[in-house]
Amino acid sequence: MQSKSSKNSAESPNDITEYYKHVSLFWTDIMHLMSSKPQALTSIGPMRSFAANSKKISVELIEINETLLGFNQYLTEYYKQLADVWGIAQKKVNLKSPEIPQDVEHIEAVKRVWIDIFDNDFTELFDSKKFGENYGNLVSKELELTKHWNNITNVILQSANLPNKEEVDEVYKEIHSLKKRVSKLELELTKEKRKNAK
Amino acid sequence: MLNESTIDPKIIEEILKFSKNVIEAPKFASAPDEINLEVTPHKVVQQIDKTRLLYYKPIIETKHKTPLLISYALINRYHILDIHPEKSWVRNLLEQGFEVYMLDWGTPTSMDKYLDFDDYVNGYLDSSVEYIKNQSSIEKISLQGYCTGATIATAYTALHPENVKNYIATAPVIDGWKDTTVMSNLAKHMDVDKMVDIIGNMPPEFMYYCFSVLKPFEQGIEKYIKFFKNIDNKKYVDNFLRVEKWLGDTPPIPGELFKQWIKDIYQENLLIQNKMHIGGERIDLKKIDMSIFTQVAVGDHLVSPECSMPLHYAVGSNDKTLKVYPTGHVGMIASSFSQKKVLPEMGKWLAERS
Repeated sequence: MQSKSSKNSAESPNDITEYYKHVSLFWTDIMHLMSSKPQALTSIGPMRSFAANSKKISVELIEINETLLGFNQYLTEYYKQLADVWGIAQKKVNLKSPEIPQDVEHIEAVKRVWIDIFDNDFTELFDSKKFGENYGNLVSKELELTKHWNNITNVILQSANLPNKEEVDEVYKEIHSLKKRVSKLELELTKEKRKNAK
Repeated sequence: MLNESTIDPKIIEEILKFSKNVIEAPKFASAPDEINLEVTPHKVVQQIDKTRLLYYKPIIETKHKTPLLISYALINRYHILDIHPEKSWVRNLLEQGFEVYMLDWGTPTSMDKYLDFDDYVNGYLDSSVEYIKNQSSIEKISLQGYCTGATIATAYTALHPENVKNYIATAPVIDGWKDTTVMSNLAKHMDVDKMVDIIGNMPPEFMYYCFSVLKPFEQGIEKYIKFFKNIDNKKYVDNFLRVEKWLGDTPPIPGELFKQWIKDIYQENLLIQNKMHIGGERIDLKKIDMSIFTQVAVGDHLVSPECSMPLHYAVGSNDKTLKVYPTGHVGMIASSFSQKKVLPEMGKWLAERS
């Protein structure tokens, strides 16, 4: 199998990312193996756990760059769609009100035309499939960025021997389940009491 | 090109007046934080988790036997139904002699991310209905749902028809595929599984974004220009700030509830097809067989009439009324129009059946 590090030139941003990911993982792993003996001496200290998990942080940071590429692509498209509609709407306003307003009434009339045309055109954009899809993708990439950040935070929390997000979520889920069962029992009891009181 | 001789002096006058109004605005207007949105006196009669059941003190002697419980929407807070003494939905109903309860869903935190439709329908709403039945010694109550609160109330009414004597659905979110609003378009393209998995509850900031793209220029620019122009009009300013404060107060929506709402209503449209399940039970709209009054606003840009009206045709009731009003989503519940037209009609309908 050809080593990724043997690639001298990358053709796309993804290839470049893959290349640096490989280089980073290679050195992280080698350093980890080389330093395993001194680490064993401090196996109960915080740095041992942090060193073991540092690879996870490296991976997350590299993947954040990949996600950022996608995020920027959808963000650019988002502003392009807004700018395109703005330009078209402004042209429509210029056609409908070509003269520069000279008095208060005229300003009010032009403002009304401007708001009506802009609201209509932008609502049409926000209602369109192309906007919906791009916006959905943009939010999705933003969520992926959040996910990477959460993962990094989890590694740091684990290093400090604190519960991470998943573990806290498990507790929330358990509490929710217990509360639900108790609430249903209480409600059933209320209904039974009413029935018996009749 | 403009030159000095062609500029109408009134324009300069208007600009100067507007600038003066902006500078002097704090003299005329309260800060939103200083405004109390709870207008009509009430007491909290039941509290479960973060939800509260409110009971409004009667203004006149109660004329109707069946009390009314209002299930408010999941977006923003219930205050819009009692926003101002002259435009209060609750106060008007009290003045008509009804007994009124309101279910406040509260403000969910991260801990509440697993709350789902089952908790809201068979938990909080059912517990409120049981409380009212016990207090009033009656078997059935009148229920009103507004917006997404009507989606919850519709599901409740289908699952527990034995508890509901009259059902009023105000701008209900029912048929997601027929909804023509911007909200529906954004919802259809949302990866809601990923969102809930990563961030838990639906954050209020995201809700602000969704609202800000509805009529962006009218709502984002023009209304603030009007506010400063009318800064010396006490009534206008008070009403404006109350509505603005209400708009800015949007609690998060529990993750699991939000996920099911987006998937079952907007993406797969299960409710109107009688395929939605809550707590393991299927929602069959034909089981809604009591008197039902559906209120729809023709200018509703949050829940389009096409999304609400199918409820009228899907239920199994023989006694059903559909009213379409020439107003908007908020205009239907908190305006002079709602006081003069919507509430008297609803009150008459409800009085005849209470």
